Amino acid sequence: MASVKLTNVKKVYDNNVVAVHDFNLDIHDKEFVVFVGPSGCGKSTTLRMIAGLEDISGGTVEIDGEVVNDLQPKDRNIAMVFQNYALYPHMTVYDNIAFSLRLQKMPEDQIYEKVTNAADILGITEYLLRKPRALSGGQRQRVAIGRAMVRDSKVFLMDEPLSNLDAKLRNQMRAEIILLRQKLDTTFIYVTHDQTEAMTLADRIVIMKDGYIQQVGTPEQCFDMPTNLFVAEFIGAPKMNIMKTQLLRENGRYFVTPFGSKIEVTGEKGQMLAKKNVPAGEILLGVRPEHMVLADDKDAAAIPTTLEVNEMMGSELHLHVFTEDGTRLIVRVPTIGLESGERESLVRGKKINVTFEGKVMHFFDPETEENLLL
Amino acid sequence: MNKTLEKRSMGLRASRAISNTIIYIILVIMSIVWLIPFICIVLQSFRVESTWQVGYVIPQKWGWDNYIALWNSDFKKWYLNTFIIALVVSVIQTFIVLCMSYTLSRFRFKMRNGLMRFMLILGMFPGMLTMIILYRVLKDLGLTQVNAVPGLILVYVASSGMGYYVSKGFFDTIPKTLDEAARVDGATRAQVLTKIILPLAKPIVIYTILTAFMAPWGDFVFARYVSFGTSAGMNVAVGMYGWLQLDQIGQRYTMFCAGGVVVAIPVTILFMCLQKYYVEGVTGGAVKG
Repeated sequence: MASVKLTNVKKVYDNNVVAVHDFNLDIHDKEFVVFVGPSGCGKSTTLRMIAGLEDISGGTVEIDGEVVNDLQPKDRNIAMVFQNYALYPHMTVYDNIAFSLRLQKMPEDQIYEKVTNAADILGITEYLLRKPRALSGGQRQRVAIGRAMVRDSKVFLMDEPLSNLDAKLRNQMRAEIILLRQKLDTTFIYVTHDQTEAMTLADRIVIMKDGYIQQVGTPEQCFDMPTNLFVAEFIGAPKMNIMKTQLLRENGRYFVTPFGSKIEVTGEKGQMLAKKNVPAGEILLGVRPEHMVLADDKDAAAIPTTLEVNEMMGSELHLHVFTEDGTRLIVRVPTIGLESGERESLVRGKKINVTFEGKVMHFFDPETEENLLL
Repeated sequence: MNKTLEKRSMGLRASRAISNTIIYIILVIMSIVWLIPFICIVLQSFRVESTWQVGYVIPQKWGWDNYIALWNSDFKKWYLNTFIIALVVSVIQTFIVLCMSYTLSRFRFKMRNGLMRFMLILGMFPGMLTMIILYRVLKDLGLTQVNAVPGLILVYVASSGMGYYVSKGFFDTIPKTLDEAARVDGATRAQVLTKIILPLAKPIVIYTILTAFMAPWGDFVFARYVSFGTSAGMNVAVGMYGWLQLDQIGQRYTMFCAGGVVVAIPVTILFMCLQKYYVEGVTGGAVKG
């Protein structure tokens, strides 16, 4: 249990590639922080610098108030779970979990207690005497987590721990990590490229791109108020629809005019635009697929489109449609709201109208791609 | 449809059986060819009716005489010399080679590539080229003739760092995340080597020990000029070579054969004990595979 503080942390590789620029972050005691971003964004590098597996080129990393820049990984009192499990193949599961405790010269009876306890929590008791190669992927990852668990370390680092598992197992393990977190009650730093994992696990999400932090915030903050276009498109699946459009201002009321329609900005977003006194002009308008709905063609807010792909997801349909100028939009339609026969009629080439409400829009500057409301 | 499939699978099985048979016949012939000289030597070593070379293989009179004569000759001293040299060299050389391989496989430092290239080029020069200067140095150090044993150990061990290729290659195949996991778990670099890398690289450790033992065990050239005619400093190869000289071969030929058998014993035992590790791969299950 400890806080972790990164101040101006920088990573420059030998070939002068800068992987992480000026990373500043305060991670509180017992917080679950997720670093998320596309591959090559520097999230794993940052985690490895905290672990001590990469040299820190600039800035400081503090664990519990102590600068650890020059400490070996073994002296930092951290535990880490790796993407590819990194189990010692020549040792049994028991020995794998006991490895760190034996290095600490803990008495064997205490080791036994700790290992069996961890195995119990993770449900791997019956595999304790097996070698890793006799385990399935999910079981191996449990062993890796068990190995990190028994150490009572200050910080728990996880580097894409679920990426090697199949989709079903990943969902299951994600739920187990939430439970594990409640049991361990320690500081977690978790790296993933999967925004779903980030959203479901994190207290705070750190979204990174090209070595820079894009946004730090709770999942709700990142989802509801993305700082820029990158975050808006990265968080949420399927990704946010972006439309180039005009923002109009008439008598203190704001309107957007995507593809010939005219929709008033209402609710909180409308008030914020007025409060910030955002000028009229060209903007990038963002609307999440789940906020788009099918519309009547008589509606002034309707956007005429052509259906290209209809993805049946079970509880909902993902409709990929093209507007008249070729912009691609995605609409999420709950199947429960469709009338009988309507679902079957949604075939490729069908003309449909879509629209969205006035309170669900996001506005971005077309030049800087920053959120206009922040 | 089914019938043609059946036919095809029959054909496959038949052709596999034929090719296996051919392979085994070739292997059997090859082993016989290789074993004949060794069997001849073993048979000769038990021949007691005469000590010279004869025109037949099966002894007319069997006995341990040659081995007893061996025990009463300088052979005992030579054998001990060889054994000490090979043992010490295999221990030191294995240690150096494994440390070297670990360093070159896992650490990134300036001139790492330069060093490896330098050693590669250095390795292209035959060791014999150093003979004269080595002799000079050893002589000045007083490590020749009677003191040939420490002298030879020095010579064999000196360049062991250059034999890192095979084990470094093997270490490179062990995933680095295992090192990292162990270091996070609290292991020092040395503990990573002894507790993780070496157990996983068992076949290559065995290979390193075997080659480090074999080279001085059978060496002749260096051993001959460092001992330089002094029986007390000779190894078996040099000592027994003396028995093949014209003036001795008549009395010593069967003893020579007995000596050959005795020399082969420890190496054979070593191989038989360690052979299974050669074939055993142990990295399965380390990372997702």
